[in-house]
Amino acid sequence: MGRNGSGKSTVGLALEVFQQLARGTNRVRQLVKPEDFTAGRVQSPIRFELEIELDAKIYEYSVAFELPFGFRELRVFEERLIVDGRPLYTREAAKVHLFRAGQEKEANFSVDWHLIALPIIQEQSKKDPLYIFKNYLRQMVILQPIPSLMDGNSDDVTLQPSKDVKDFGNWFSGLLAEYPAAYGKIDEYLKQVMPDLKDIKNPLVGSDSRSLEVQFEDGPRTLKLPFSALSWGEKCFMVSALVVASNSAYGPLLCFWDEPDNHLAIDEVGHFVMALRQAFQSEGQFIATSHNPEAIQRFSDQNTFVLSRNNHFEPTVVRPLSELHVNGDLVGSLVSGDLLSSLARGDAGYGHK
Amino acid sequence: MGTNNYRAHVHILPEDDADRELANGFILGVLPAYSRAIQVLPPAGGWIKLLDEFRSFHMLGMRTFPLRQVVLLIDFDDDLNRVSWIKRSIPEDLSGRVFVLGALGEPEDLRKDFGPDYESIGQRLAEDCRDGTSPIWNHPQLRHNLCELDRLRQYVRPLLFP
Repeated sequence: MGRNGSGKSTVGLALEVFQQLARGTNRVRQLVKPEDFTAGRVQSPIRFELEIELDAKIYEYSVAFELPFGFRELRVFEERLIVDGRPLYTREAAKVHLFRAGQEKEANFSVDWHLIALPIIQEQSKKDPLYIFKNYLRQMVILQPIPSLMDGNSDDVTLQPSKDVKDFGNWFSGLLAEYPAAYGKIDEYLKQVMPDLKDIKNPLVGSDSRSLEVQFEDGPRTLKLPFSALSWGEKCFMVSALVVASNSAYGPLLCFWDEPDNHLAIDEVGHFVMALRQAFQSEGQFIATSHNPEAIQRFSDQNTFVLSRNNHFEPTVVRPLSELHVNGDLVGSLVSGDLLSSLARGDAGYGHK
Repeated sequence: MGTNNYRAHVHILPEDDADRELANGFILGVLPAYSRAIQVLPPAGGWIKLLDEFRSFHMLGMRTFPLRQVVLLIDFDDDLNRVSWIKRSIPEDLSGRVFVLGALGEPEDLRKDFGPDYESIGQRLAEDCRDGTSPIWNHPQLRHNLCELDRLRQYVRPLLFP
C-alpha cells in the first residue's frame, strides 16, 4: 500500500519486464526506454533483480541497462542467472559466459548489446533450471483488468492473459483447451459469488471464433446473458475464477493484481481478497496493491509493505508494516493520512518499532 | 455476493489489529467453499468501544438476521471478570448467539509460543476447531475460553467444517 504516485503500480511494471523477456521479447528498447530513468538520471544504470524460490532452489536473476552518452537506445550493461549460489551464466556488456553442469563444456559467446541473453539461451529439457525459471516468469499473471474492454469473444487461445484482460475469452478458451478439469474449479468459485449461476458456455459464433455465454437459473427460470452484459464487478469475479483455476491447473503462479478491490461491492471486497489468498496458500504467490481499507485489512503486518517517497525526485522506500508503529489502529491511521504522510516526510512519529 | 445474511453465518468483531489478524488466519484455515459464511469486521479499537459498537449497531443486526452468530474477540488484560461483565451487558434474547473469546493477557505471548505471526496462530486455531482438538486452545493464554469454545463449536463446525 502507499499513496498515489508512491510506486505501487511500478512494481507491476517491473514484474512485467521479467514476464515479457521470458515470453521472448529480447530487444532492450521494447522493454525499457530512456524515459524510464528516474528523474532523467541516465548516468546510473537501471537494474532489475529478482530472487525466487522454486522447487526448493533459489534463483537469482539480474539485468542492468545503461544509456551511453549520445545513444538513443539502452543496452545491456550486465546480466546473470544464479541457481542455489551457482551461476548458470554471467554477462558483461556483449560477452556471455555459460557455465554448465556435468560433462557439458563451458562456453563463451557474444550477444548484441541491445539484446537480452535470457530469452536466447536454449534450455536443454523441461528439468533444466533455465526452463523452470523462464517458464515461471512467462506464466506470471499481472493484472489491472479493464472490464469495459472484456467482451468474452475469442479468436485464439492463450494461457498468458494481457494485463487489462481484454483477451479474457482467449484465456478462458486456452485454459479449458489445455486443462478441461479447470472448469470445475471455475464453477466452484463462481457459484459462491453468484449462487444462481448455472453454467458458462463458449459456443462457436463463426468459423474461427467463440463468444462466452453465462446462464443463470432460479428454480424453473433461466436467463442466458452474453459475457459482455455482465457488470464490471461480475467480470472481475470471472477474472478471479480464472486466476484461481490457473494456479491450481498449472501453477505455481505469481499473480500481481493492481487494486483487486476495484469495481467490487464493499461487502464483497474482504471475501474476494481472502479467496485469492486461500487459493495461493499452498503454492504460488499473490501480490495485491490497494487503497481500500477492507482489502488492506485482509492482510497482516507481516505480509504488508508500505511504499512511500518524499517527492518525484526521490526513490520509493519500501518498508514492512511490521516494522512501523501504527498504534493498533491501521485503518484509522490510513484514513487520517497520518501513517502515509509521515512516512513520506520521514517523520519519527511513525518510525521503526 | 458477500455473506448470505439469510443463512447461518458468523461475524467476528475484533478488538484490535492483532485480533483481526488472528481472525483472518482462522478464515485461511477454512476451506474456500465455506469461508463466505464468516466475516471479520473492522477492529473497534478497544474492548469498551467494541462493546459500544455491539450495543449501538450489531444488536439490531442480530435481531434482523436471526441466523447470525457474533464472536467478540477481545484482550482480557489479565482480568477474567471482563467476560462476565460483558456478558451481563448482552440482552438475554441474543446471549445464546454471542460468544466472547480472547487471550488472557497480551496476544504477543501467543506469538512467542506459537509464532511466527498472528495469522499462523489463527490458522492453527481453525485446525483445532476442525479436528476437535485443543493443543493451542489449552495454552495458558487461551484455556479460559474452553467452555465458550465448546458452545461455539456446536454452531461453527457444521457451518465451516462440515
